[in-house]
Amino acid sequence: MLSPRQLKDREYIMPAPFVRLMAKGIIGVLKVGTFHLPSMLRMRKISEGEERYVRPARHYELPEYKEGMRTVRSDEKYLRPTLFCDPNDPLIIAMAHELGAFQVPDRVFAERAHHLVKELMFVEEMPIDDAATTLRRGTGACFHLASVLIALCRCAGIKARYKLFAMSMISSWYDSTMGADFLMKKWYDILGYFVLEAEVEMLIDGEWVNGVVGADAAWQASTGLQVSRLGETSLGDWFEAVPGSYMIMESLPLGLATLYATLVSTVPGSFERVNVSLEKQRKNGWRIIEEAGGLEAYDALKRVDKVQMPKVELEQKGSITFD
Amino acid sequence: MEYVEYIHRFELSTARYIPSNDNWTPSDNAVYSPSDYFRMECEQRDELRFKAVRYQLNRHYQGNKTYRTYCQESGFSPDSLRSVEDLERVPVVSSDFFKTYPCGRDFALWLANLYTGELPRVHIKSKEPTHDEVIESFNSAGMAVAYSSGTSGRHTFMPRDMKSFFANEYSLAKGAVSMFFPRWDPKMRGFLLMPNPFKTNLFAGRLGTVFYDIMKDVEVALDREVNTETVRQSMTQGDGIKDKLTKYVVSMSHQRSVDKIISWIDKRSKDKEKIALVGVPFLLFSVLNELKERGKSYKLGDQAVVLTGGGWKMHEDQRIPEAQFRKDIDEVLGISPEACLDLYGMVEGNGWMMQCPEGHHLHIPTSYIHPMVLDEKNQNVGFGKHGRFAFLDGSQGSYPGFIVTNDKVRMLDHCPYCDRPGPVLEPGISRMAGQETRGCGEEVRKMMVSDAGGQ
Repeated sequence: MLSPRQLKDREYIMPAPFVRLMAKGIIGVLKVGTFHLPSMLRMRKISEGEERYVRPARHYELPEYKEGMRTVRSDEKYLRPTLFCDPNDPLIIAMAHELGAFQVPDRVFAERAHHLVKELMFVEEMPIDDAATTLRRGTGACFHLASVLIALCRCAGIKARYKLFAMSMISSWYDSTMGADFLMKKWYDILGYFVLEAEVEMLIDGEWVNGVVGADAAWQASTGLQVSRLGETSLGDWFEAVPGSYMIMESLPLGLATLYATLVSTVPGSFERVNVSLEKQRKNGWRIIEEAGGLEAYDALKRVDKVQMPKVELEQKGSITFD
Repeated sequence: MEYVEYIHRFELSTARYIPSNDNWTPSDNAVYSPSDYFRMECEQRDELRFKAVRYQLNRHYQGNKTYRTYCQESGFSPDSLRSVEDLERVPVVSSDFFKTYPCGRDFALWLANLYTGELPRVHIKSKEPTHDEVIESFNSAGMAVAYSSGTSGRHTFMPRDMKSFFANEYSLAKGAVSMFFPRWDPKMRGFLLMPNPFKTNLFAGRLGTVFYDIMKDVEVALDREVNTETVRQSMTQGDGIKDKLTKYVVSMSHQRSVDKIISWIDKRSKDKEKIALVGVPFLLFSVLNELKERGKSYKLGDQAVVLTGGGWKMHEDQRIPEAQFRKDIDEVLGISPEACLDLYGMVEGNGWMMQCPEGHHLHIPTSYIHPMVLDEKNQNVGFGKHGRFAFLDGSQGSYPGFIVTNDKVRMLDHCPYCDRPGPVLEPGISRMAGQETRGCGEEVRKMMVSDAGGQ
């Protein structure tokens, strides 16, 4: 049992922006849900004859844990166990060893761990559970997958942390899909408060390196994106964070799992449909990759095509003064 | 009246916008030297454009770290620019980029780091300033920061200095006046179907100041301060009590504007003075509908011109085909379709594409705008094919005006209806189907929205 001080120190407590987002989201959902009850009810059901979700088979073998396998077991920030992320779990230790922990340079280990989580584990929307369970299952939402990557890195002595944000969407998509329907727009805006995205940052050779999880190559191909690599982030590329929602955390905060579990149990039908849809998108993505001549060819093509965004460094200009 | 004399009168009216020609830059040359943007010799116009774009490109590359880094990451150097054909290689910036601003103090720094050159002294009297407070502070210091209406839910903010803003206003007015030849007259009265340009930083509103110089006794539809909060309120779509109240107030204000415009038209039809109605089409559409309901019509004829722009915004559901709109204007106000022109432009650029009276195709001022139509791979597809509109703005000195938009266009090398040389855009510009964004949480969000019955 952690003391209140430890809870705060390990960032189990929701930071203020998180609390604000959650509060706005919950109030919004309650309000819209109350006034649009039939819509809520629709989200609960899976109609007869509708396609059901079948979890894909795990794409990797689970290594066996053997006594004496090394783990860092540190109490240092970003190396220690946190909520849903235990780097000292036997399965995590065994997998870290399988990937070359303590045998290969940190960057090589991070590349391998990133590949495992990003390309061999698949997105499945579900209530949040711990890293070892997720690794055993082979699927999870971005929070789950981020926890697995962080646990593997921490086990191997690489500091790792969560990067959480609420997503702001590309305006042209918003224009063409949301503009006309008030209820749809309202739902979308409200859900944006607490349907967050998670990424990972790993400290490699003295530098925090990004890792995108929760979007394997096929899924990225289905949306026309390049296949992201270790060191790349979605932010400023295909996502923009809602101002004020960007958070770097050592741990997933307390309460997030409860909120997610409540959401899943309130609208299980919607969540199952998401998972069915994800599988379809992935299949479509592989078709696109094959048509492009394989993964490397597809990725090279997309990286050439992409309109990049400039990055603005917010340097202080002497001519601007604030009170 | 000959065109030379006609445009000379315009130059006199807009003298304060034109920099002293002792030290015109290639950019100034491209904006201020042509007497008619749309009837220039191809060689002359290409030379002006190339020099203007190259001049601005060098300035932004040297004086704007954000753009320089962007060019370097794209493997582009301005030194490699040798001819008009090379312009296609200039790195363009997505118009979405200008919506990626932060809040508070960082917003001020964001604007400052987007701006090319030395900023004036800007003092912001707030610890956590709003967007409006930041803009006001910049503009009090002599800038002309303006923003789009933000129909998509997010405004676009552009940091112009007064020189760039003057170039924008001047070229807008000159393009319109030359297309309306010989109908414009500095003694004509104007009605802006927009907010008071002196009381807003909304780009489409603020541009209206030039009409006070080229017309007399200009009136406005909305004579009150308009800021980002006012714009947000006017676009509210909710069904709560507050939203309903806001909608009621907005609709009352809209109706007052319609009444005011009708009363003004009524007076002008009696005093026979020349008039110009300038502004957003949906407000004029409301005027036409109101007049139809009242069973009134006018025969304004050669006495009047109509210049619209800016699209239908939140009134998109009311949009009618352009030809039908002009027919309605003809039937209700008695203004012929040749005197009703629409223009296409945007807050990100200084280029104003003006419809010609003959065929209502949008002519591009290519002495300072280099237009392109890009395919999915960002390759220029040239003439005759649909794609994403992009342009290099050789007049833009405040920020790199090398932009790829979200607008779907088709460009033709020559207008099919008139003898003006140079490229045109077909009317009926639409939005590109947006790129769909996906992420783990985003999938849940979209599915729940869809299940809620939205799609």
